[in-house]
Amino acid sequence: MNRNLISRRTVLRGLGTAVALPLFEAMRPVRAFAATPLDAGSAAATRPVRMAFISVPNGIHMPDWTPKATGYDFELPFTMEPLAKVKDDLLVMTGLTHDKGRANGDGPGDHARSAASFLTGAQPVKTAGANIRVGTSVDQAAAEKIGHYTRLPSLEIGIEPGRGAGGCDSGYSCIYSNTISWKSASTPMAKEVNPRLVFERLFSNKSPGEGGKAAARRDLYKKSILDLVSDDTRRLHGRLGDADRHKLDEYLTGIREIEQRIAKAEKDSSHELPEFAKPSGVPQDMGEHMRIMCDLLVLAFQSDLTRVATCMFANEGSNRSYRFIDVPEGHHDLSHHGGDAAKHAKIRKINRFHVQQLAYLLERLKSIPEGDGTLLDNCMVLYGSGISDGNRHNHDDLPVLVAGSGGGTICTGRHIRFEQETPMCNLFLSMLDRVGASTDSLGDSTGRLTGLS
Amino acid sequence: MAASPPVVRADEPGAARPVDDRFHNQVVPILSKYCFGCHSGDEPKGNLSLGSLKGADTPKDRETWETVLEMLDSRSMPPKNKSQPRDAERRIITDWIRLQLESIDCSGKRNPGRVTLRRLNRVEYNNTIRDLVGVDFQPADDFPTDDVGYGFDNIGDVLTISPILVEKYLSTAEHIAERAIVASPPREAVRRIEAKDLAGGDRLGQRTVVSRAAATTKIPIGKDGSYVIRVKAFAAKVANEPPRLIVRVDDREVTTAAVVGTRDSPRVVEARMELKAGPHTITLADARRQSDEKTASGDEPARPLIVIDFVEIAEQAKLPNSHRRIITVTPSAELASDRCARLILTEFATRAFRRPVAADDIERFVKLVMLVQEKGDTFERGIQLAVEAVLTSPHFLFRVEADPEPGDEDGIRELTDYELATRLSYFLWSTMPDEELFRLARQASLHEPAVLEAQVRRMLKHRNAEALVENFAGQWLQLRDVAKVTPDPEGFPDFDDALRTAMLRETELLFDAIVKEDRSVLEFLNADYTFLNERLARHYGVADVRGDEFRRVALPANQRRGVLTHASILTLTSNPTRTSPVKRGKWILENILGTPPPAPPPGVEELNDDKDAQLAGSLRQRMEQHREKPMCATCHSRMDPLGFAFENFDAIGAWRDFDGKFAVDASGELPSGDKFRGPVELARHLMLAKREQFCGCLTEKMLTYALGRGLEFYDQCTVDDILKRLAKEEYRFSSLVLGIVQSDPFLKRGNKGTDE
Repeated sequence: MNRNLISRRTVLRGLGTAVALPLFEAMRPVRAFAATPLDAGSAAATRPVRMAFISVPNGIHMPDWTPKATGYDFELPFTMEPLAKVKDDLLVMTGLTHDKGRANGDGPGDHARSAASFLTGAQPVKTAGANIRVGTSVDQAAAEKIGHYTRLPSLEIGIEPGRGAGGCDSGYSCIYSNTISWKSASTPMAKEVNPRLVFERLFSNKSPGEGGKAAARRDLYKKSILDLVSDDTRRLHGRLGDADRHKLDEYLTGIREIEQRIAKAEKDSSHELPEFAKPSGVPQDMGEHMRIMCDLLVLAFQSDLTRVATCMFANEGSNRSYRFIDVPEGHHDLSHHGGDAAKHAKIRKINRFHVQQLAYLLERLKSIPEGDGTLLDNCMVLYGSGISDGNRHNHDDLPVLVAGSGGGTICTGRHIRFEQETPMCNLFLSMLDRVGASTDSLGDSTGRLTGLS
Repeated sequence: MAASPPVVRADEPGAARPVDDRFHNQVVPILSKYCFGCHSGDEPKGNLSLGSLKGADTPKDRETWETVLEMLDSRSMPPKNKSQPRDAERRIITDWIRLQLESIDCSGKRNPGRVTLRRLNRVEYNNTIRDLVGVDFQPADDFPTDDVGYGFDNIGDVLTISPILVEKYLSTAEHIAERAIVASPPREAVRRIEAKDLAGGDRLGQRTVVSRAAATTKIPIGKDGSYVIRVKAFAAKVANEPPRLIVRVDDREVTTAAVVGTRDSPRVVEARMELKAGPHTITLADARRQSDEKTASGDEPARPLIVIDFVEIAEQAKLPNSHRRIITVTPSAELASDRCARLILTEFATRAFRRPVAADDIERFVKLVMLVQEKGDTFERGIQLAVEAVLTSPHFLFRVEADPEPGDEDGIRELTDYELATRLSYFLWSTMPDEELFRLARQASLHEPAVLEAQVRRMLKHRNAEALVENFAGQWLQLRDVAKVTPDPEGFPDFDDALRTAMLRETELLFDAIVKEDRSVLEFLNADYTFLNERLARHYGVADVRGDEFRRVALPANQRRGVLTHASILTLTSNPTRTSPVKRGKWILENILGTPPPAPPPGVEELNDDKDAQLAGSLRQRMEQHREKPMCATCHSRMDPLGFAFENFDAIGAWRDFDGKFAVDASGELPSGDKFRGPVELARHLMLAKREQFCGCLTEKMLTYALGRGLEFYDQCTVDDILKRLAKEEYRFSSLVLGIVQSDPFLKRGNKGTDE
């Protein structure tokens, strides 16, 4: 914390300390203004900046992740080799920390904490059920401000369904391990793991061929139901206690979002079905599953159905086996490698497999022209884990990279080493600036991250 | 040896009382030596001050001591760079804390706790729709997974509602309504035969009298299907009883009905039947004429007379059962559509909300039907929409229980009979109450102890009680994870989906037998029988079981006893490539004994598991070396011996005498000095020494599941009561369930919960 203050102070000194404005405003290149969605409704030529966050569980084998050199001249380590084609679009970051992933007096439970704090930078309340609480996540902070521009404020997807039995991690409810996106401190955003359902959510709001009149009547009916339901919910509200009211509030929020969506759909009926076959369900093959989800993410960004997304390549603490790459052991079991070289070799296989899927996503984004550049240019795809080394369970020196230049506001093709203990949340603040969702603080942020542009 | 522990009254946790000597003389000195340095004074580290803390008087203090206990047990505190207490010192503190946490006075009024508003989880939603609407297509399978808290997925606090779930609620309700109800029932193709065109009978103007001689008509039927015949008729010259009309198709009598219509208002008699394609003859006759046939004299028509206006035959529209079940009446000249809608929706909403619904609230749904009809859509489309609205109402999606009134003196109220019916049916059946529960709720008699007990016994024998196996056992024993185990095909080529399914079925059937036959819950630990089909019997080496059917089989004396030796449990507590005595031991501590071990301190070295290491000794020998580290020993000395007892079972639960080239050593010794060799002896040990502990664990798990909330310290009194009852009633399954159902937390609702 203190160390970061120093770096911030250094910057301030350079600029003249009287500046009270958010630093970023002063430093942002001109093009970024055009890229912000502030004027999204008006100018058709506007290219909004999108943000996606992808998490992988159980840490990463760091010796094969961290590039040796910093700056532009770095070599891709073993785990990142699949990213060769998009190397110039990467910003690899070393030295970021999630202090709130640490115990800080709460005892064991690093996996649950690392997922819960990954995008929130907040310390989750240790509970198996009562009083679940962490903090608003960066994606939801963005969705709150820019979500109304698109059909879906945000998209939450994942590959592994939640556990249906038992505990997940040392007295923490499984919610913490299965979720990285939090709408508020107490409302987790459930993720969708079935590609068919993601597709339906993105595209099937209207039956094709339905006439305007029939559709209008359908909407009227739908609105009548929503009115009735919200009315019911409000009347019930008064009769219940606080914790119960909170549940109803969650319900009302959901209803309101759908009302808004219907209203928006009335104004804009231009969304056409993409040329993409509707997925039939969850593929058996894990790689296939991940790639279909990536395809859908690309479609959502490309058609501007949403600008904010999160994806968990697996739940935190996941013990899935990866037999198809000759790793029959469970991922979590392996991650407690105890320095064993054979286990290291298997872990890095898993790490690399995950990165291959990331490479697929980034190459797809890059293949789509947008404006003068590509879709990837107008994205910021953050990839990483809330645990660094799976054996030590440490939450400093986290494996993190951002791909895409955020509409030309991030100088990519580099590896930066930050001071140790630099809060990951500082990166989040800087990312929020770039999508037009600036905020003063998020989680344990201490300021904005410098040196991105 | 110690002074009797101070007690906390269950109702008044804040009552002041003296702190015992043991605390001052033994605990405080150690705390001040190792902890107070950071955790006392004005700005204690982690905002945790131990300096002012005494006994576990208040819930807040209890929480603090629980944290301290966890820190010490997991060796997370004191931090590594600070001086460490000796093990004996650690134990003095932890023993004292445990004693504090366990002591509680149950004599006063009990706090029943407060359950957070629970939404239906996926299983409950599916089952409820099945029973309410009569469409069984598992609509909630597309909902996001319900998260688990306290080991179960039906916990109010954990059942959150993200926007995506609300979306699903809406689209699913629409889908269900469209599937259950046909919005535009196909028009019937009606063929009418006027009375004058009938053959036989006696002509009476344009009409035909059938009382002297039957009238007939021939009709060709184009295709097989369900048909309805309607006869418009009235009776004339009625003295006492109205005459009865028989309608026959070919030689089959399809109805006999009293003709109550009069000349001024004839009525329609209806009959429904299946007909094959081809020519058919409809016959209309007077029932009296039939019976009197032999004695009837002359041509004098019998009195009174049945006079026919016309006959109609129509093919019935194919409507799903759910449609007929919900739409019990349709608008007609006699019954306006708003009255129809009111009748239908009162019935439907009452069942959907699991309680009587006020007329005002029904009116809001009726208005929806009217709106739809105003827009030119059908009545049925209107009902469809109203059903959709009911299914998205919070009263359907949530199990609503209002808090006690603010003015309520003790903040505790008894549940209404409807609320009780709902708690009961979701606990034992994972679905809405059935007709009988609703009836008893209407009569307000369900809460009477004898009625309640009879209902519990009925419900446990009912088919729906399978939900208890699927959902309670599925989570308590973690059977749901069996679907996800992935044994290494190289090491275990025998494993396939048939075996996976059989494993799961075995444990489900044992649980089911204990429920349905009301057997002792101790049989979970020591049943000397099990359920096998050929596939699983071969896996177990049991001879003479043929075919896919499961049957009850007596187990040989020395290999298997109870669920701990079921292949399901043995597999889900193994790694894909080998057994894991640690996981097996941990599983027993968590799910059988209710004393989960803390997580390992970070940075511990795991067992070396590569090929070279395997040459150096059996898994067990390597583990024992590993366990020599004092940091690991405390917990592993509790876990590993339990796990070792099952080393004769490989990672998919087959019996083995060798682990690789090493003979299996299945002996174990617990820190208590208890020794055993193999699973059967361990089962005996658990039965003798751990019976109470097992029953306590099972009771806590089931109470958590039944209430949908985590247990609080004051629930200990309820658990103790149930344990006493269990012991007195031969540990029967029903006494566990009845103990729960007849407890305060289940029957009442408080306004003081866990978070206040």
